[in-house]
Amino acid sequence: MALSILGVALGVAVVVGIDLANSSARTAFRLSTETVAGRATHAIVPGSGLLADDTYRNLRADSGLRNAAPVLEGHIRAGSASGPVLQVLGIDPLAEEPFRSYTGGPEGELDLGAFLGPQRTGLISRSTAQGLGIQSGDDLTTFREGKSSSIRILDIIDPDPGFSEASLENLIVVDIATAQALLESPGKLSRIDLILSKEEQGDKIAVLEDVLPPGARIEAASARSSTLDQMTQAFSLNLTAMSLLAMVVGMFLIYNTMTFSVVQRRGLIGRLRGIGVTSSEIFGLILGEAAVVGLIGSAIGMVAGVALGSVLIDLVTRSINDLYFTVRIQDLNITPLGLAKGVLVGLGTTVLAAFAPAREATRTMPSTALRRSEDESRLEARRGLLAGSGLILGILGALVLRTSGESIAFSYVGILFVILATSLWVPFLVDSGSRAVRPLMGRLFGVVGRMAASGIHHSLSRSAVAIAALTVAVAATSGVGIMVDSFRTTVDTWLRYSLEADVYISPPGMVFRRNDATIDTAVEERIRSMEGVSETYSVRTAHVLIDGRMSDLIVTEPRDSDLEPGRYKELPDFDHREAMTARDVVMVSEPYAFRFGTQVGDFLEIATSDGPRPFEVGAIYYDYASDLGVVQMARSRYEFHFDDRQVSGLAVYAADGVDVDDLIDNLTSVTANDQGLLIRSNRSLRQASLDVFDQTFTVTAVLRLLTILVAFIGVLTALMALQLERAREISVLRANGMTPSQVHRMVTTQTGLMGLLSGLLSVPLGLLLAWLLIFVINQRSFGWTLQFEIDLMVLGQAVLLAVIAALLAGWFPGRSMSRMNATEALRFE
Amino acid sequence: MLHVSNLRKSYSEGSSQRDVLSDVSFIINRGELIVLLGRSGSGKSTLLNMISGMDVPTTGSIEFEGQDLTNMSDTARTLFRRKHLGIIFQSFNLIPTLTVEENILLPLELTGTANQEQRQLALDVLREVNLGDRGDSFPDRLSGGEQQRVAIARALAHKPSLILADEPTGNLDFRTADTVMDILQRLVHDERRTMLVATHDRDIIRLADRVLELQGGKLKDVTPAAQHEAAQKEAAQQDVEAADNASPGV
Repeated sequence: MALSILGVALGVAVVVGIDLANSSARTAFRLSTETVAGRATHAIVPGSGLLADDTYRNLRADSGLRNAAPVLEGHIRAGSASGPVLQVLGIDPLAEEPFRSYTGGPEGELDLGAFLGPQRTGLISRSTAQGLGIQSGDDLTTFREGKSSSIRILDIIDPDPGFSEASLENLIVVDIATAQALLESPGKLSRIDLILSKEEQGDKIAVLEDVLPPGARIEAASARSSTLDQMTQAFSLNLTAMSLLAMVVGMFLIYNTMTFSVVQRRGLIGRLRGIGVTSSEIFGLILGEAAVVGLIGSAIGMVAGVALGSVLIDLVTRSINDLYFTVRIQDLNITPLGLAKGVLVGLGTTVLAAFAPAREATRTMPSTALRRSEDESRLEARRGLLAGSGLILGILGALVLRTSGESIAFSYVGILFVILATSLWVPFLVDSGSRAVRPLMGRLFGVVGRMAASGIHHSLSRSAVAIAALTVAVAATSGVGIMVDSFRTTVDTWLRYSLEADVYISPPGMVFRRNDATIDTAVEERIRSMEGVSETYSVRTAHVLIDGRMSDLIVTEPRDSDLEPGRYKELPDFDHREAMTARDVVMVSEPYAFRFGTQVGDFLEIATSDGPRPFEVGAIYYDYASDLGVVQMARSRYEFHFDDRQVSGLAVYAADGVDVDDLIDNLTSVTANDQGLLIRSNRSLRQASLDVFDQTFTVTAVLRLLTILVAFIGVLTALMALQLERAREISVLRANGMTPSQVHRMVTTQTGLMGLLSGLLSVPLGLLLAWLLIFVINQRSFGWTLQFEIDLMVLGQAVLLAVIAALLAGWFPGRSMSRMNATEALRFE
Repeated sequence: MLHVSNLRKSYSEGSSQRDVLSDVSFIINRGELIVLLGRSGSGKSTLLNMISGMDVPTTGSIEFEGQDLTNMSDTARTLFRRKHLGIIFQSFNLIPTLTVEENILLPLELTGTANQEQRQLALDVLREVNLGDRGDSFPDRLSGGEQQRVAIARALAHKPSLILADEPTGNLDFRTADTVMDILQRLVHDERRTMLVATHDRDIIRLADRVLELQGGKLKDVTPAAQHEAAQKEAAQQDVEAADNASPGV
């Protein structure tokens, strides 16, 4: 029972841990968005890039706009180039008061003279100051895009009423001019915050829209906080699904324990029935017992989940920061609702798993106490029926998968059906398998081997459930392993043909996969004209309003290799590369086409500097850098439509005879004084990309490990139950001359064989799960085309993992059985 | 052959000690068939546990052909048991995961050194208990009488010097019990084996050479079987009911 509680606790811990990590990331982002939005109801935002700050002046002067405040936002690093990220909030203190009281405002205690003066000054919260080890009056060194700067901390600020200290975490409030200098955006604004009453919203918005610069629009403040949900929806959902897998494996464990508990007390139940306890009361008793196990397990699981959450949150945050946006989470967002979910999952799963054993208990007749052998005979008779039910459930799973459209949640339901269907086949396969290997086991290990093989099918009701739990856990591990391997191989292949240049140069950015930092124009010119450089091409990443959504626009210069058809998922019947430089034609990445249903020949409305313009989709290309999807535009068209000449990265080809390492050294020394750039060889950039890829899947690896741990406990529980049930048999063997070491060897051989059977059964299920993850879940989550790479090593490791897990789980029961007092069990009757 | 001297076995019950066996001494000679009588709780189980080496006495010694079991380690006692003893249980206790043939060969197989001739001799015993055609069956396919015959075959197959039988007919009907005892006696007598049978079945007493009777952990009587039988018949006449109510368990 204790192991069962541990199983529930582990399952709940994984679910709570992941939920906490996900919700904490979401809350941290929402909190920071709401904090900086303050009491603003709306904001004027640009279609692409930033707003010119005269927009604000013109609106106040021409439209009589009063409740408006200019904002320039961005991120910097504090202390060092790899220090903690701070969110910069550039404000005009004279316009601030209706919006954010924590910024001090003209009525507050803020020293306006110093705040607006020539010295760069800023305000930070108490906890942020403590975290950075600075106080009011200190200078803080900041880094951005490879350049350093300094800000004097003018004062410590407190949050607005109703907001916690955490809402100001990692925020630095500066004057607009300071923000423009820090973020190298002179004369620019991120947005203009507005407070519009309900009455004036309709008319005022219409009036404002008429005078807004091209591309700019008015957005409700609430729209911004939903960005995270949209961006990370698939990411979070897949993590949640993985966490629920541990609970599914836990179900087998609970089922096994509750069945054992019922079987063990058949006599007692029979006596209770004899003295007048009804079958429904027995049913309630068993379910009540399961509920207690579920409650205790859930309570322990919640505590462990909070601990696990604090570990997972680092991994989740790192992935979000690499892939989506900058967010810093310091505290776990523990809410009663989050914990209640854990209890619900733990309790619900336990009661559900105990349902069948409880029903079984009600069938115990007052006059009889069934023997275990009858249970085994019944299961043996039912194994065909179970396999048949498995077949039906499998077909049902396939139907769910086929008819669930694009729903990821329903896809997982379909996968759950497939897993359960396989589990129902386990008794049949284990029975047949253990009978088939019996002669071989006899030849290899003698009578001990034969008994080990027979022991499995002889106690099928116990061993099949344990093997099913281990099979599912190992299959999930190998399935996810194959998926990750396939994904990695695809990404590696893609990187190999995408990264053709010898050296890649970019400023250090905040988000690895969405780096919109820019290279200083003078530095760019110097690199392009440097000796040893034969050719360069640039990349610019911009965030632009495309079809009403802020999307990433990748601006590139044409290359010959762009013509390789292997790079494209869909091509038009004209030369799209030529069309992209000659007219308004763009390409979209595969995930973009998937997310928004874009096809070749469609038109996208892109907010250019001159206002929205239609661009034809010329091709759909393979891209694995962003699951959010990107649109690619030729540099010449971008410069034609956008008032932006900057580049985010440069790809450099070394001239003939120039050593790449020497070139990197030269590039570093030439640029070091102006901008600290990341200058990487083709190989190291590819490695860095793969490192980020691997890091993204670290959470998955942790979850896989925990699932195996739950299965391990499942096997241990089953073996401990067997130990109790086989006490007499072991005593007879001891009486007939079996030594303690032979008993241990027999148990070990049996558990090893159980592990081997689990491992072998996990191979087809693992392959099926990998196929479903790649072609169903990945397709419906991200839309990527992945190669299906079967690494025999992964499958071999899965079998080995199952055997090792089973052997480890069997060690303690084996030891106990070998040390058992044979006379106690035998008693010579 | 078997020399039991001053055997005492006590268990702790809280702060006090309770003697289950106390000062038990007897000798069993080669080829003898001894019946051990006693009511429930008289110490028969404990005595069999000691003689089989599955448990050790608190004091006293058990010498079997010159070897003192009480000085041996658990493994050494197991190896001794494997080689010298055959045990027959009331509930047959066949290994359900092994076939009839494998059950019989079990003690030999555990040695890991059994040769073909030994195996053949073991299988001959199966024929002698009239189950030669059931070698491939699993125990759950056999009747109670058949299972006990297999258990007898298993106890004799490796040619042990001493056979311990615990209520060998306790779970069988009268006719089957007769058949089983006939087989057992024939096999034991034919090869001049030594056997200690714990039972309350008075029909078995007639087959015995001597009768040992335990009462409250003490050896009350060691008498030749014929003498014991006569005394018992007389007592039975006087108190049939008491004899009938005697516990079937040992």
